[in-house]
Order: sequence, then C-alpha cells, then structure tokens
Amino acid sequence: PAFPLAGECQEKVEEGKAYSPDGVFAYLEMLEARAHKAAVKQEETEQQEEKLARLKARVEELRLQRDELRAKVDLQQKRQLGKEGGVSNPAQPSARAVLEWKIKSIKAMLEVFYLTGISGKLTKRGVCFCISTAYEGTYLDSYHLDLLTKPEVQIYRHSVPIFIPLQQIAKKYLQTDIRRFLSVLSDHLNAYAGRRYQADQLQEHFSDQIEGTLQRNSLCNLLVFNYKVPSKSKTFPFNVRLLYGDLCCSLPTEVVISCTPNAPASLAETAAAHSDLFRRVALHKVFRSFSSA
Amino acid sequence: MDETVAEYIRRTVLKIPRDEIKTMLQKWGFLSEAQLQTINFHQIKENISQEVVQLCEENSADIKQAAVLDIIYNHIYPNKRVWSVYQMNKTGEETEFFDLTDFKKKFKRRLRSALKNVTINFREYDDNAIWIRIAWGTPYTKPNQYKTSYVVYHSQTPYVFISASVLKSNMPLLCQALLVASNYCDIREMELRSHSLNSLKDIVFKRYSQNFQTYYPRPLQERNVAPESADIRIIQENKNEKERIQRLNREVFGDGPQPKLEFAQYKLETMFKSDPKMDVLDKREPFRCLVKFSSPHLLESLKSLAPAGMADAPLSPLLTCIPQKARNYFKIREKKGLFPGSFVSP
Repeated sequence: PAFPLAGECQEKVEEGKAYSPDGVFAYLEMLEARAHKAAVKQEETEQQEEKLARLKARVEELRLQRDELRAKVDLQQKRQLGKEGGVSNPAQPSARAVLEWKIKSIKAMLEVFYLTGISGKLTKRGVCFCISTAYEGTYLDSYHLDLLTKPEVQIYRHSVPIFIPLQQIAKKYLQTDIRRFLSVLSDHLNAYAGRRYQADQLQEHFSDQIEGTLQRNSLCNLLVFNYKVPSKSKTFPFNVRLLYGDLCCSLPTEVVISCTPNAPASLAETAAAHSDLFRRVALHKVFRSFSSA
Repeated sequence: MDETVAEYIRRTVLKIPRDEIKTMLQKWGFLSEAQLQTINFHQIKENISQEVVQLCEENSADIKQAAVLDIIYNHIYPNKRVWSVYQMNKTGEETEFFDLTDFKKKFKRRLRSALKNVTINFREYDDNAIWIRIAWGTPYTKPNQYKTSYVVYHSQTPYVFISASVLKSNMPLLCQALLVASNYCDIREMELRSHSLNSLKDIVFKRYSQNFQTYYPRPLQERNVAPESADIRIIQENKNEKERIQRLNREVFGDGPQPKLEFAQYKLETMFKSDPKMDVLDKREPFRCLVKFSSPHLLESLKSLAPAGMADAPLSPLLTCIPQKARNYFKIREKKGLFPGSFVSP
C-alpha cells in the first residue's frame, strides 16, 4: 500500500488548512496524483522483481539443460572409450527429462491414432469416438460419436451426416461387435468423403471440359454429366452416368457412357475405353489424363 | 405477356431491397446484360419495377420464368417465411441412388394427377438442396401465384422443410407427392418450427456445434476473457463460480453459434401442486397451462442466462434439450418416472 510518510502528510494537511476551501479539491487531486505515482512506482518495482525472478528461472533452466547435455556428452565419450564393459556411469536422466519424453511419446501415440482415422476418449458415461476421413493423402472432415455404455451401448449424440445409414449400421453391429461397427462406419464415411472430394475436384479444376451442370446427390453416389475431351478438331460430347453401388467404395460400380446420335461410330470405341477408365481411376485423375493426353 | 404475369413480376421486384435488385436479376438470367444496362437502378423502386416489366414484355416472359425469380428471392431471404420440418420414414434398406430427374418427374406427375391447376418449379443449389415452388389452384381456377408453398429437400435425407401457404388443405397432396418422388413410406410433421431455415437444417442435420470430447489437440479457442483489470488490487471473488458456470455452459451448448429459433412452447398438462388445505380445484384434473418463451434468438439467450446471473447453472434439461431433441414444441404430462425427459410426449 502506497501511503505518503505520516509526517509529510500532516504537514500537507496543515498547509491545506491555510488555503481557502476552494483549495480542498486541488488538495485532494494532489493526494490522488501522489498515490497514483507511488502505485506506479511500486508496480515498476514489482515488475522488475518479476523479471528478475523469470530470468533466474531461465538461468536455472539453462543450467539444467547444460547439465543434461554434459551428461550426454560424457555418456557418449564413455561409450566410445569403455566398450569392454568398464563400469560406465550412465548419466541419470533428470526427472524433468523423463516426464518430457513421456509427454512427447504420448502425444505422438495420440497423433498416430488420429492419423489412423479412429480415435476415442473415455467420457463420464461412455466413450467419444472421432472418425477422421482422408482421401489419397488429403485430410478431410472428422465426425464424432458420443456413445453411452450403460445399460447397453447406444449412441447418445453424433455429428455424422444424416444421409449416411448410421442407424442401419448400428442396428447390425453396435451391440455385438463395436470394432466392426466403427470399421464399417469409417469405411462409409471415408468412401463418401472420397467421392465428394473427386466430384469437387472435377467441378473446381475441369469445369471447362464439362458441358452444363454436374448432377450429383448428397451421398455423391450418382453423378450424371456431359463432358468433352479437349481436342483440336470438333468433338462430340459424351454423356456419362456414374453409379456408385457400393457405399464403402469411392469408385463407381457402373458406368454408362452414351454419345449424341449424330456422332461417328468410331467414338463408340473411345466411349468403351473411357468407361473402363472411369471404373478404375479416380474421377479427377481421369480428367487430368484427358488434359495431358 | 399476360397481365397477371406482368403484375406478378412487378410485385416480386418491389419486394427486393433496391440495392439487391440488379444482382438478383442477374442471377435470374432472364434479361440480358445489355437489357440490364438500360435500367437505372438508382431511381425509386416503383420505376425500376416498371422498367423491368417493360423488358420482360419484350422477352415475352411467362409464368414459369416469373416463378423462378420468386424462388431466387425466397432462397436469398428465406427468413421471411415460417418453416416447419417434416420427417419421412422408409422400411426398406436398399441403397438410395437418388436420381434428380427421376425425382422431379415423379413429383410433378403425382401432384398433377391429383390437381391439374398447379405451377411447379424446381431449382437446385450447390449444397444438394432442391427448392420446389408450388402455386396452388383449384379444380376450377388457375393457380394463384400469391398462394405458394415452398419445399426444400436435400436428397437422401429423411427431412423435408416446408413453408406452407394459407391453404392447409393441400398439405396431404403435397406430402403424398413427396413420398412418391423420394421413395419413402410415410411422413409426419415434427414439432420444430422457425423462421430461420438454415438453423432448422443445422438442427436436424446435426451441423450445430456439439462439444465432443477428444484428445486431438484442437486449436484452443480464445475464450471470451474480459481483459483483466490492470489494477491488481481488484480481485474476482466469484471466480470459481464463474468458471463453473462457463464450464457447464460449454458442455451443454458447445463453443460455436447456436441455431436460431424464435420460440419454445411448453404445453403443460400436469396437476396443480398446491397445499391440500387450499383446495384450489375441486376436481383432481390437470391444470392446463401454456408456457411460451420467445426471443429474437432463443438459444443464444438461454446460453447467456447463467453467465448473466439470471438463472442457476445447469439449466433445466427441458430448455437445453431443444437442439438435440430437434423440437421446440413440447407437451408435458404428469411425471411417472424420475427422468424428466421420459414424460415429454411425441
């Protein structure tokens, strides 16, 4: 607490008495200013002390690091010298280093779980799973499932898109084989993410080869559109209908390509070749190959 | 061009805010860029709409094209209507392929077979939303373009969003057509209504923020911490309580913005609990009472109740269950079990 010295105060008070009543406010103002100044000063000193403490802690930290490194160097040297089983004195890693290593390895483990696509965390009433999707190296959306485990395993809430047949999959596997449930659901979600990614890529990068609109649906399991292959001569557009019969698959199960009635017969061969291509290769890659051909 | 079409276009343009008219006409695409250049968009709306009608006359607009402008307007300003949510059920488990052309064909055919005098328009959007505009007539009169119903449907989902017109009698017809077209068996109205179409979608499609617990280090959201007062002599006495409330709030409401609802209505059919000696009612029958909460943004205001000190945390589950149960109209009957949710009737 910053108060002016007692003696000083009295003096000032007496001084104040000498002034007219109007001076009271000025006097109060002066007191306030003084208190403020003292407070600021004190804060400064406190900040200095804080800074000092921080620096001291930093010094400690650095000393510790230096010790660790020294120990490592010693160990290294000893290993070089005493290979024939001399009593080496392995430097005891400090408790702090052990803790840091543990944290790092756990974080890495969790990262691995996340990267595999299915990770979970125990909650008060059950488990919360996170299913992450990816397609050919690109990470896409994550979806969550909050499960209760008592009285039986049930889904409390989730963020799975409504058009994924979650209830169907749950009915089949949730009670009996939770691993299978998660695996099947993950397959559905990943395949959906993959199909959507391909369709988005197509619309984004190859819109010049598409005539009209790309007809799609929520699950991206039926795509219908007209396209033409880039070529110097006049090209006839193809109409393609891609049906993805297997919801766990990101490639179509059925491809129907048709040409306009006035197209030359030779195009039938091309259509057949394309049909095969669409069945085997990802959609945007097919179009990329058209551009580069 | 038909007089009624001209009038309809004129009235539709008048609804649009002046600054948006040009963009909307461009989206419509019925008038060419050259034609749009000739319109002075800085004059009063009355005159703008007259000029638009004039140009539409030149292009011989018909009612179908005028209807498209109406859909565009309603798509950009859906909050001017009240939307209800309907849920469909199906028994089969086959994979749905949802062919859009097929859907439209079946819908039109079913509706027209029951009522010839209807105007039906479709428009699809990037988020897989199909907008259907229906103007209803009667067996003896042409469709009334001012009595329209709007349907928004996302393929391969069991939910339909309907903004019905005044004519409720056409609902069964509309529902039937939807079932046939989308290949479902039955449809029922949910107890969920709001002006905000997107919020209704967020609720049933589970797109709102739910606070899931994960280990994956999400970037920590900057919590709204009021800047700590620079003067260290001021201490927060209730810090623990404040933090407890914040924590509970986040658990219940999540971190993100809440879906926008305007009402929550609770119809009580419970017994009046009074001192037996007071004997307010002679007969022991349920005391009927309707409690309605209204707000420009109900869920956000519920979320701020506890932090503002106006209610105890945790809030009643009757209030907090709204997005999860996907309903904002409740009927509460006499408690039979302990868990309050169990006696909320469908």
